Amino acid sequence: MAAPCRRMASVTLLYFRSCFRRTAVGSAGVRQLSTTSVCGVTLQTKSRTEKPPSPWTLMAAVCLQRLPVISADCSPVEQRFRQMLQQMELEKSLVSEHELRLLEDAERLSRKQADDYDSDDEGSHGDQDIVLAQDLEDSWEQKLQTFQPGLRVNADADEDLTSLERCLADPLVLVAEQQVGGDKLWLLPQTQWQEGETLRQTAERALNSLPAAGLKATFLGNAPCGVYKYKLPKAARTESTVGTKVFFFKAILSDSGAPAAPSASLLWAKKSELQRYLKPAYMMKVDRFVLAL
Amino acid sequence: MSAVLRKVCVTRQASALSQALAACWAARPLQHPVWAPVNTRHYRSMPTHGIGRWRHLVPKEKTKKKKDKIQMKEILGETDTAYGSLNVTVSGYDMTLVEHYSQYIHNLCHRLAIKVAESYILPTKTTEVMLMQEKGTKMFVDAVLKTHQRVVQLSSLDATACPVLLDVLLQNQPEGVELCVSQHTEAHFQARFKGRPELEGLIAQLTY
Repeated sequence: MAAPCRRMASVTLLYFRSCFRRTAVGSAGVRQLSTTSVCGVTLQTKSRTEKPPSPWTLMAAVCLQRLPVISADCSPVEQRFRQMLQQMELEKSLVSEHELRLLEDAERLSRKQADDYDSDDEGSHGDQDIVLAQDLEDSWEQKLQTFQPGLRVNADADEDLTSLERCLADPLVLVAEQQVGGDKLWLLPQTQWQEGETLRQTAERALNSLPAAGLKATFLGNAPCGVYKYKLPKAARTESTVGTKVFFFKAILSDSGAPAAPSASLLWAKKSELQRYLKPAYMMKVDRFVLAL
Repeated sequence: MSAVLRKVCVTRQASALSQALAACWAARPLQHPVWAPVNTRHYRSMPTHGIGRWRHLVPKEKTKKKKDKIQMKEILGETDTAYGSLNVTVSGYDMTLVEHYSQYIHNLCHRLAIKVAESYILPTKTTEVMLMQEKGTKMFVDAVLKTHQRVVQLSSLDATACPVLLDVLLQNQPEGVELCVSQHTEAHFQARFKGRPELEGLIAQLTY
């Protein structure tokens, strides 16, 4: 327990220049993230006095999240409120330049069609006579017709738990089925800590060791966001191992690259669905840091 | 004779008494609240002495001379447990979204006890989208897009608070708004000022 924490305290933190861009629903159902590290991580290993090794096995797990791609739909109250606000804004607003132009053009047209029209009375309007504001509006309408917005809700993808395109309005967490001490359990991808690396590097290794290729992630910081302590049953306890401690690190999926073949051991689950897969005690700890806003 | 004497005595006493009273009144004029002028202090032994004083409670403002150059706020470096000065830049085409999101970030930092050094606006960049005409070679202006930028400068961010803050910001990021977290340097500060070409020319002449 003491070893990696002290080492983390002596690691100079990574400066990151990260840009998170939220574009409209593109072909990849994932937000564009780019990071360039300005100064790298430098490890300083202090000389330690010999200490008996800790009885806890240390592991690091990664909580990989796919952020929501579109904003969530409004509830009925919110929709009514939004309509009311829009109506109020419309009633209080002034006429815009484009609308003024429309009115002027309509008025000029009606004057032209009157019998006693004298074109010399008009001021010179130049090309406003050629392209009326109404024509502009019509051309814009035509362009709008040709635009096809993407689907907000894709019912087929929603059912498929391994698809990245499911539930675009909610954040999804990656859950993997891994072998832990003889049983196959559903949990956040984890791996054991080794000497000479930071816990964050362990978490990165856990992510890279997953069968799914091309999962590029941006880790949100060097500090873990949660911890889970598991004590082995009394029968399995020995002198050197009392249990395991798992430290969780948060990461954001940057872009998934080529769509990986769906593997049965990886899932993208919403927070409400996590309960079905994770064990209750584990779920209680994970619940505290997984945000579903 | 005695009666006259007595009368004289009485009147003398009466006059003496009235004089004494007058003297007394002159020394202690009655302070009627309406008639007393506003800037006289109450007597120092009165319990209400100094009531209404407030200027000594307000911290003294340093008078800013116009010649003073704007000083840069200290840029904190990183420590073992905290990041140094960071710039959170929010940019986008829709001004209401950008402004509301930057205000949300600022309020969230107050809530999480993260110190905000400054919060400023960078100048708007106007982009003209030119489209080629269908028949002909002339380009015409199709749309004018304005990119608005707001910056929230954090003085120091704890390493434990960083993933929490970033996760919340990213989950609440509105569509069409770009979020950028970068290190704050002096170059960022100097970029906010307008260049002064004449001054630079004169300085170059002096040093040449």
